[in-house]
Amino acid sequence: MTQKYDVVVIGGGHNGLVNAAYLARAGKKVLVLERRHVLGGAAVTEEVFPGFKFSVCSYVVSLLRPEIIRELDLPRHGLEILPLDGTFTPMPNGDYLWRVNDHARTRREIARHSRLDAEAYDEYGKAMIEMAHFVKPIMSMTPPDPTTLDPKGWKNLAFLGRRFQRLSDDDKYNQVQLMTMSAVDFLDQWFETDVLKATMSASGIIGTFLGVRSPGTAYVLLHHYMGEIDGAFRSWGFARGGTGAISNAIADAAREAGVEIRTEAPIAEILLKNGRATGVALANGEEIRANVISSSVDPRLTFMKMIGEQHLPDDFCTDLKRYKYRGSSGKVNLALDGLPDFKSLPGAGAHLRGAISISPGVEYMERAYDEAKYGRFSRRPYIDMVIPSLTDPSVAPPGKHVMSCFVQYAPYNLKEGNWDEKRDEFGDAVVNTIAEHAPNIKELIRDRQVLTPLDLEREFGLSEGNIFQGELTLEQLFFLRPAPGWAQYRTPIKGLYMCGSATHPGGGIMGAPGRNAALQLIKDWKKSV
Amino acid sequence: MKCDVVIIGGGHNGLVAACYLAKGGLKTLVLERRENVGSGAELDHALGPFSSQIITDLNLRLELLNPKVRVLALSDDGQSLCIYNNDVDATVKEIEKFSLKDAKSYPEFVESFSRIGRVLAPLLSMTPPSIDKPSKGDVWQLGKVGLAFRGLGKKDEYRLLRWGPMAVADLVSEWFETELLRATVAARGIHGAFAGPWSAGTSLGLLWQAAMDGSALASSVSVRGGMRAFVQTLADAAKSFGAEIRTSAEVERIESGKVVLRNGEEVEARAIVSSADPRTTFLKLVDPVELDPNFLLKMRNYRAPGVVAIVKLRLSALPAFRGIDSEEKLSGRIHIGPEIDYLERAFDASKYGEFSREPYLDIAIDDKVMSIHAQFAPYKLKEGDWNTRREEFADVVVDRISHYASNLKDLIVDRQVITPLDLEQSYGLSGGNIHHGEQTLDQSFTFRPLIGWAQYRTPLQSLYLCGAGTHPGGGVTGLPGANAAREVARDFKAGKL
Repeated sequence: MTQKYDVVVIGGGHNGLVNAAYLARAGKKVLVLERRHVLGGAAVTEEVFPGFKFSVCSYVVSLLRPEIIRELDLPRHGLEILPLDGTFTPMPNGDYLWRVNDHARTRREIARHSRLDAEAYDEYGKAMIEMAHFVKPIMSMTPPDPTTLDPKGWKNLAFLGRRFQRLSDDDKYNQVQLMTMSAVDFLDQWFETDVLKATMSASGIIGTFLGVRSPGTAYVLLHHYMGEIDGAFRSWGFARGGTGAISNAIADAAREAGVEIRTEAPIAEILLKNGRATGVALANGEEIRANVISSSVDPRLTFMKMIGEQHLPDDFCTDLKRYKYRGSSGKVNLALDGLPDFKSLPGAGAHLRGAISISPGVEYMERAYDEAKYGRFSRRPYIDMVIPSLTDPSVAPPGKHVMSCFVQYAPYNLKEGNWDEKRDEFGDAVVNTIAEHAPNIKELIRDRQVLTPLDLEREFGLSEGNIFQGELTLEQLFFLRPAPGWAQYRTPIKGLYMCGSATHPGGGIMGAPGRNAALQLIKDWKKSV
Repeated sequence: MKCDVVIIGGGHNGLVAACYLAKGGLKTLVLERRENVGSGAELDHALGPFSSQIITDLNLRLELLNPKVRVLALSDDGQSLCIYNNDVDATVKEIEKFSLKDAKSYPEFVESFSRIGRVLAPLLSMTPPSIDKPSKGDVWQLGKVGLAFRGLGKKDEYRLLRWGPMAVADLVSEWFETELLRATVAARGIHGAFAGPWSAGTSLGLLWQAAMDGSALASSVSVRGGMRAFVQTLADAAKSFGAEIRTSAEVERIESGKVVLRNGEEVEARAIVSSADPRTTFLKLVDPVELDPNFLLKMRNYRAPGVVAIVKLRLSALPAFRGIDSEEKLSGRIHIGPEIDYLERAFDASKYGEFSREPYLDIAIDDKVMSIHAQFAPYKLKEGDWNTRREEFADVVVDRISHYASNLKDLIVDRQVITPLDLEQSYGLSGGNIHHGEQTLDQSFTFRPLIGWAQYRTPLQSLYLCGAGTHPGGGVTGLPGANAAREVARDFKAGKL
């Protein structure tokens, strides 16, 4: 046993680091322990192939809370967000849909497909921004417990009720629909262009094992309108130097606030004494004491692996086992000798600077899901690609490029075979699908890294490969995340808190769980003193 | 002609509303487009279950038959699973054939749903509160439900909150490991819905069912004499209270203070109560200029996709089902859809405008008539149309059942096929949806049919809704009719009409 800390944070992902930074700023002595050699968790940049740096897992920023950027002064610590301009969707009929950040241009582009849709697009944007305003404060609150008998808890619920009541009739209608409907049903009400609906609805399924027609997927459409970068509503971006640069900026801010950070420090066990967490034991046997442990890894690792069922209440264990991960996506990172040439829009135009989405139609998306439901990866998956080296040349050697492909669906549990056998087959399916639209891709590939859900679990500690530390479905959100009764960042173990994506408001490079948990912990700390 | 209330549509909800309003002393006229009243209810296998409060209020002389069996589920390997009504022990014995673990979970499953059902039940017979300006009565009612919710205890409270938006496949796998049992329970969540068991929100059907009669599975209660006798009893009751019922009287238009029949006749009324579905009422019967464009737009977006086709087989004898030794086991519903994946695959086809090659079937046999709800049969087919493909689908259904009852084909005397298109054209169900609109979260309770219009009133002053497109929705419950009648009577009393 060496020294004693106020708080030990398990996991040096972006949420763990945010959590640590806020705690240190409140005067706590904080230590962050990261299992891997790099910080960032799933928000990490690695030089996978010599000279080629990849945002290995998470690849775009949109939801990083502006208050975190401000309060931790991240730009001063090196955070620079470069705009990701638009989404390009090639279609098999030789046409394409290319939406950009310039509203007027996008409107003209949509009008090419349907005049009605171009008009609806204006209305849609306005409505969604209203909704985003409604949802925003909910992201940064500790969820109330609807079963509480404490009048303070009721006050929080009543706050939500009154807020909803104050919305206009149309906004109420939209809000209810967004929270409960499927993305496609919701979009069907606004638009008629298939490719537009398919591309927009794709955001509703990312990281969930649901199809675009499944209720509950509409809600994530909102996220696109919540992305705020340097105050600009609804823009997406890359971090200069890759996603890992975000984690590094947060880590820098945390260190400045006095946080101590150790990498290659895997934890074997959370130490308990009389039902209270008292410290952690590292894999090498070292024990570190702390008043509070704050875990940013998912509940399965925190409770089942680091604590053990025998120390936990039965009901809580049952709820944890019911918490659904079932990863549904994979990642393919390509090192390229040049740029892909799309049949539908040849050349190295600005369309390559944004996201390139293989989502040509709703039926295509739905069929991709159907295969996965029965335990196969999609032969023709939904792919969301970006080429960050076009915007940020520092990530690839001159003239070369890195391309990041997010791929869905890739179910964690395969019906036949296992991921170690199927990894290359999966990679081929992705490349073949891209080649249908950009035939030159095969000649350009120098190297490729294929990350299956199993790899995400092994490498990055994401149980079952779920990129959000648990599905973002209604029954796992807000006061139900990660377990009923335990959505206030506390746990049944005294002195143990949760601060990762498995807590409200969930996954994505948001930082909100880490910040909310820190604020809750500081509040509790004051009370207990 | 002039009367106090004219009710459009003599379905069971229209008749229930007529009973209450006529009983309250209002001169009530029911106008039914078809030759008989209650033809929609006749398509159902069972009372949904019909509200016992209504039976008492209206003093209906119904002889309810409560068969021992709720549902018999058949599996491909010749095994069967029988779930009994109100007999947990017998059901547990059945489940033990498959899994001891499931047999152990079953009593708690039943208990949990029945507790939650008791809390939800009062919601069914209340008018959904207004969100903008909840009245004192609304607050009182909700307060009572809130207290009952508190009474559930933390565990069930959270169950209720979690289950609402959950995929039913997930819910059943939390309770059971036997695929046949999982699929049988899950079926309630997708019946009549454009959804497979993996679709989120499908658990809601189980909660509503539990609210109605305390069990998560579809009811098998029926009436002596069948659904026709049931409808006749309702019609007789309405007449006995003084209501007039006219059949073959199709309403063509709703105008201010009157309805215009197809033959040009006009009927003036202080209140017009439509039991037709919301889309039919507002998009067909009302002149669009009378409605706010925003309301019209929302109404056009009200979802009512048809997914069920009904096949009726007249048989010369009871078919012999593989592995079934007693007739009693066939007295409830018969479920064909042995696995969750089977149900999901059946749904898959309909997403692409095809009917299921291996459909999910919900069957009831009454007096040598086998009535089958076959899912999924999408209203819009990608290839051909229902008039050319009707028999093809019926063949698929018959083949499917023959798989479990090999002598079926030899016993068929006659068959009738009612496709979603028929449901729309002959039965007036918009889109062929048997529930007058999907029963998803965003189209339930205070959002049914639309947020702001869930109190049975409409943007048109004297027009009310009383059909399954209002709270609490589809099934032969009579509750939408009874709830609407209460609101209409209230407005009469307040001098608003």
